[in-house]
Amino acid sequence: MSDDLRAAHENIFLPREARILHTARPTASEKHFTLQMADGEPLDYVPGQILEVGVMGYGEIPIGLASSPTRKGSFDIVVRTVGRVSTAINSKEVGDSLWVRGPLGHGFDLDSLKGQDVLIVAGGIGLCPTRSLIQYILDRRDEFGRFLLFYGARDPLQLLFTEDRVEWRASKEIDYHETVDRADVTWTGNVGVITTLFHKTTHLDPNTRVVICGPPVMFEFVIKELDQLGIARENIFVDLERRMKCGVGKCGHCQINDKYCCIDGPVFTFAAIQELEEAI
Amino acid sequence: MGYLYLEEKDFAAFVDALIAAKRVVGPTAKRNKFVYEQLASADELRLDFDVTILPPKKVFFPPAQDIVRFGEQAIEGCIAPVDTVLLGVHFYDVKGIDMTDYLFRERKEDWNYLAQREATTVVASNIQAISPRAFWDSVGAEVKPKGHDAFLTKLAGGCVLETLTPKGEALAAFGAFRDATADEINAAQQTNDSVMGQCSEKLGYTSEAIAAKVRDSFDNEELWDELAMDCFSCGSCNTVCPTCYCFDVKDAWNLNQVSGSRTRYWDACLTREFAAVTMAGGDKENFRERHQSRFRHRFMRKTAYLNEKLGGPACTGCGRCSQACTVNIADPVRVITAIMEVGS
Repeated sequence: MSDDLRAAHENIFLPREARILHTARPTASEKHFTLQMADGEPLDYVPGQILEVGVMGYGEIPIGLASSPTRKGSFDIVVRTVGRVSTAINSKEVGDSLWVRGPLGHGFDLDSLKGQDVLIVAGGIGLCPTRSLIQYILDRRDEFGRFLLFYGARDPLQLLFTEDRVEWRASKEIDYHETVDRADVTWTGNVGVITTLFHKTTHLDPNTRVVICGPPVMFEFVIKELDQLGIARENIFVDLERRMKCGVGKCGHCQINDKYCCIDGPVFTFAAIQELEEAI
Repeated sequence: MGYLYLEEKDFAAFVDALIAAKRVVGPTAKRNKFVYEQLASADELRLDFDVTILPPKKVFFPPAQDIVRFGEQAIEGCIAPVDTVLLGVHFYDVKGIDMTDYLFRERKEDWNYLAQREATTVVASNIQAISPRAFWDSVGAEVKPKGHDAFLTKLAGGCVLETLTPKGEALAAFGAFRDATADEINAAQQTNDSVMGQCSEKLGYTSEAIAAKVRDSFDNEELWDELAMDCFSCGSCNTVCPTCYCFDVKDAWNLNQVSGSRTRYWDACLTREFAAVTMAGGDKENFRERHQSRFRHRFMRKTAYLNEKLGGPACTGCGRCSQACTVNIADPVRVITAIMEVGS
């Protein structure tokens, strides 16, 4: 192939370098990175989109962007140490680089959220990809109606974004509720699964747009609650997790029926996937 | 574009001239089976093959392919197509190539596949021997073979070469071709028509009827449990399929521990961990945990899920999965017929 032709065709697997500006360890297993593209180009994305994040020699994993595009200059991801690639990523420090591809996939449909009441239900690490939308709404607060956030974690040690949560609790802009499945001696808040939070706030308007992100087991119970509130399924947005290996709709690992989670999602309306076998 | 004729005595010289100029890949004998290999001489070409072990997709989508190479500082892609003639592709595999072309091109173009595809001249050839498990004459009749550059049909005493693209026409320069006569063109047509209806396995239903009934059977767990009962999850059916294109990606270091490569490998949705995600504490969330679900997923993909995109089923009737299956349960004719007979 001539150099011209080579240049004309983007290699969809070629990652770009991102420098680590800042890191934090919110829990024993998670690491929070603030990154900037090494070439200085801004990352142009929508909340809910993903990046393939990797270390050369180890591999790539799909990670939801955890900051809002309204906050320019850098972007955040949170990586949980679970396997070989995430361990390699989480060994990196300020000044090191990660190799990223993206933004990839279909994020939150902001137009259908604007002007509406929005409830975000985030379980566990599901708070990371939804944090992008949370920040977006807070930064453009006038464009949305009532804003609620329910967040649940297994136990107090698993709770992420301590500084954010302090801010959310104090803020009048967001109706924030949190819970843990199992309390410890320090915990004075709500104990119970995330659906218990539906009883902690005033009645939700049936027109509320709802975003759900969390472990697969959580979806079913949250949707039961939403059904009782009369919230239409086309107004429920789910952020799905799959093995999005290539991120560009080719490798097949994240197939759900004829959809690819990585390119048709990871954000779907519940109405669009409820008929798809094996979706949830 | 037109019809050319080459005398049998001139055929070997044609193939050898191609081999001298380009990489030529064609069917060749390996023990008692056939495989696509790069040819060293015309003698190796076996256009009388029935079916090859692996489909010709491996020319564009090799079982292992570097997609990125990295050094200490820099990374680079490795798209490096080689001018190739793929000589001797049966029409069912032409369909398979056309489908993988579509799938690697749709939405995000994957030039790791497409570059080699564009650098390859595909020469189809008539079917001279029929594999015992083939059923290409009774599946996906609405999907027409296309995307090939020429079609070679062997007749007594010579062969007709139908050229379909400029790449196909360029082949004429390598042999002592003359224009084919009307009789020769008719004879070629008859030769190709005559193999239809000769397969010993048959699907007795339309693609639409199959797609509808297979989809409807999704929740018939008893049926899928029975159909998939002996499945070992080995993925052989995936490996030999001309329309399977899933892959895994792995990084590896060179011995110097500084440079290395990111490589994609054929993967198989029948294998246990294909849809598994590692969760906290190393637990796995497997979205198709049971082998029955994986077996069903493959049949959904081959008969229903992709039909709208591909204009018909993603099964070409080559019969390779039927032959490759360790426990002889992958045969689409067996599975589809069993589903179609439920409740009738």
